[in-house]
Amino acid sequence: MSTIIEAFGMVLHADVLIAIFLSAIYGLIIGALPGLTATMATALLVPVTFYLSPIAAVASIITASAMAIFSGDIPGALLRIPGTPASAAYTDESYAMTRKGQAELALGIGLWFSALGGIAGTVALMIMAPQLAKLALNFSTFEYFWLAFLGLMCATLVARSSPVKAIASMLLGLLISCIGIDNPAGTPRFTFGSTDLLGGIEPIPALVGVFAVTEVMRAMLTPEPPRLASRRFGSILAGQWALTKQYLKAQMRGNVVGVIIGALPGAGADMAAWVSYAVSKRFSKTPEKFGTGYPEGLIESGASNNAALAAAWVPALLFGIPGDTITAIAIGVLYMKGLNPGPSLFTQGASSMYALYIIFILANVLMIPLGIVMIRLSTQVLRAPRAAIMPIIILLCAVGAFAIGNNLFSVLVVAAFGLIGFVMERNGYPVAAMVLGIVMGTMVEQSLVTSIIKSDGSVLPFFNRPVAAVLATMAIAALLWPLGAWLWSLRPVRVADHSGSGR
Amino acid sequence: MQLSDRVTGSFLVVLGGACAYGGWLLPPVPGQEIGPDVFPLVIGVGLVICGIMIAFGIGHAFEEQEELVAPLPGEKPPPPITWGRGLTALIPAGLLVFYVYAVDRLGFWLTAGLITLAAALALGARLRLAIPLAILTPMIVDLIFSKLLRVPLPPGLLPMPW
Repeated sequence: MSTIIEAFGMVLHADVLIAIFLSAIYGLIIGALPGLTATMATALLVPVTFYLSPIAAVASIITASAMAIFSGDIPGALLRIPGTPASAAYTDESYAMTRKGQAELALGIGLWFSALGGIAGTVALMIMAPQLAKLALNFSTFEYFWLAFLGLMCATLVARSSPVKAIASMLLGLLISCIGIDNPAGTPRFTFGSTDLLGGIEPIPALVGVFAVTEVMRAMLTPEPPRLASRRFGSILAGQWALTKQYLKAQMRGNVVGVIIGALPGAGADMAAWVSYAVSKRFSKTPEKFGTGYPEGLIESGASNNAALAAAWVPALLFGIPGDTITAIAIGVLYMKGLNPGPSLFTQGASSMYALYIIFILANVLMIPLGIVMIRLSTQVLRAPRAAIMPIIILLCAVGAFAIGNNLFSVLVVAAFGLIGFVMERNGYPVAAMVLGIVMGTMVEQSLVTSIIKSDGSVLPFFNRPVAAVLATMAIAALLWPLGAWLWSLRPVRVADHSGSGR
Repeated sequence: MQLSDRVTGSFLVVLGGACAYGGWLLPPVPGQEIGPDVFPLVIGVGLVICGIMIAFGIGHAFEEQEELVAPLPGEKPPPPITWGRGLTALIPAGLLVFYVYAVDRLGFWLTAGLITLAAALALGARLRLAIPLAILTPMIVDLIFSKLLRVPLPPGLLPMPW
């Protein structure tokens, strides 16, 4: 009980509350503007978090990302352009509702079920994380190696792309993490004589490049979204309570799917929304209504993406393995703020963890009033010309990257990773897998090398501890899955030949 | 920027080969079986294998369309991007490189103003919008970063009025 009171004391500080409020507004605006994502919002927030207290820093990331994921629904419903990738799965559905004259209902569902989903995700985090922490306290380097390996493989499994390309992206990320002297032997690797490269590639400038500069580059090639006509909205929350009762099962299912996908390394809110929309359609009594402006899928996937956001913090806080691209950035901030991820965070720093839960709940409750204001102002916000926003983003990338270490080399890293991310995305290489490789590379290598040294060259200790054996089986299965899936994909062709129907 | 799988796959093979070779050249740690060379070797070999598979189109069937929201039936699909227009995508990265090499000499206001102006014009802004934006944005960013967050931004040729 005393830890909970202590946690409340940590949150109810003026600087934390101001950080939550300002980052909420920031997240709502960034999320609502098409082409600016929740991950970008987090990446651009990092330099500012350096100057905040640890709790305020984490609070601003949590709040901004939660708000941005909700706010991405707004242009989806009004313009049929998702504000963030997490809203893409159900953009058609919510736009169809708007065309039927139910814009308020579509936006209300987005807001109400986002908040409920976020709270459900937080509850899952509160229940799962301490239990897993107890288990994880007994982990040795063998378990950590398999866990990290499994995490890397997960990112390749869930990518909406070719698994081979996803593995290649992940390896590219690992290669990038090799640069510098931060390896068990302390030998400079791939530095090509440059002193700037000795320290390695910092993950945060790399992520700013991949998630912010890449979006600006993409904006250069896509036409400006159409202007939104000014409109007045009726009551936003009307009828939401009735929908909550009517679609309780769909909502719960969305929450559970969201939590599972969020907790999987590398897969975040956008994946959760896609899967939940598909699951909803599959189990619906009226699947034919999907796509015509029907609330069920919207409720389920809206609940799912915000639940995923909170659940992504489970592996991030416990093992330093990012659950999505937002936590990939947040982990860097956690280390910087002395809140090093690991099971001991839950035993020694229990009050900080409670403070985190409180912030999550607070952010999701705050989402409702601020979200309503945002929806009412959306026609004004969405009228901001892209030619005015994107230059500001570039400038913030430059100054932000410089601010991280007062080093201009970071700005070059941002530019380089903007290019890398852009080329990869255009050619079907998932950048999230590369990001995971960059963030986890050092951890994978250290646990691998320490384990091999401890086992004295023998392979057996990698498998003979029970948890290690389970993790190893899962990891190897994940590695072989693409092969299995490829063989499976050859099968229907033969069947088609027999039946003569063809594909 | 759209390259064929054959090109990107071959690039990965070369990169993986270079990575494995570079790793192999690294000096071992005396008295240790496993040194700094193992990890790059594993990554390099993995990249070569993936590169070969990609070049031969294995796994291509799993790739989904790039557009997140497909165009409506009545809507005309966006025009294909020509190489000339594709090159404009390089502008943001180029502007960042310009920032690195110019900021110490020209100062923050001038450099940031030029970047903002160039980016706004490249995105099709009118001068009426681009010029005020180029003057005001650096001022606001300077206020936040150098006054509030105490990041040392170089004054250069044109210092801020404060």
